[in-house]
Amino acid sequence: MKIFQQSTEFDYSWEEVSTSNWRKYGAWNEKCQHVIAVDTLSRKIDPDTGILRTERLISCKQSAPKWVNSILGGQDTSLVYETSYVDLASQKVTMCSMNITWNDLLSVRETCVYQPSTKSPSNKTLFTQRAEITAFCGGWQKIKNSIEQFTIERFQQNATKGREGFEMVLEMSRKVFAEQREMMRLKEDSKILREANAITTGATI
Amino acid sequence: MSASLAPECNEVKERYDTCFLKWYSETYLKQKATTDECAPLFKQYEKCLSMALKTRGIDKMISEARDDNRENDAEHMRPKR
Repeated sequence: MKIFQQSTEFDYSWEEVSTSNWRKYGAWNEKCQHVIAVDTLSRKIDPDTGILRTERLISCKQSAPKWVNSILGGQDTSLVYETSYVDLASQKVTMCSMNITWNDLLSVRETCVYQPSTKSPSNKTLFTQRAEITAFCGGWQKIKNSIEQFTIERFQQNATKGREGFEMVLEMSRKVFAEQREMMRLKEDSKILREANAITTGATI
Repeated sequence: MSASLAPECNEVKERYDTCFLKWYSETYLKQKATTDECAPLFKQYEKCLSMALKTRGIDKMISEARDDNRENDAEHMRPKR
């Protein structure tokens, strides 16, 4: 088994990060073209704890090199099952994912957590990521090691891309939200103007 | 928003995702959630998706994953002490 671990901070509030997290793989992220679909399987708020639990199925286009593909069976789409838990009371989003294709040969289990940063909890968010990678190929220790090594290297590359891509989504979200607020403000203003106008002219709206 | 693995479900998925995102940022995060106003849209999406998962044989893989995931549920659904 090999372990990949990293943590990083985003210059956005936990509310912004946890909202944008839902559109992490959307069109605003130009760095995740390997994710071809994200489907929600179930979603529920736990009545006792208020925790929002979501199950998703993530479909990825496979881009493994030929030698890996030939060992793993050569499917071109891989599927990931993800459960996430949003705990409002402790301001924590936890996402757990596992591969459900190729899982008789390779197990990738990942846990990601988004929490307000300890130093500046109101405008920064700490992201921690941990993955455990295990290959099962009978007695072929050498192949097992190569597959684990390849997977962990791919993980490192994707983690960097993941951060860059998510930054794009966060930036776009902030822009769009600001625009929406501005639109709302304009609407409100024009309503006031209309009313003011109506009052002075004595007309009814 | 991301696509569905079943193109025939894209339209209803899009409507549900939009509803959810609005609910999440404007209601849930502000601790104002009482009912799930997106539930009717989710039902439509789920109906479409579950059919697609069944024909593709993915439903069985998902139910196995659910069994494998029990530990995570136990750990993360626990009430805060």
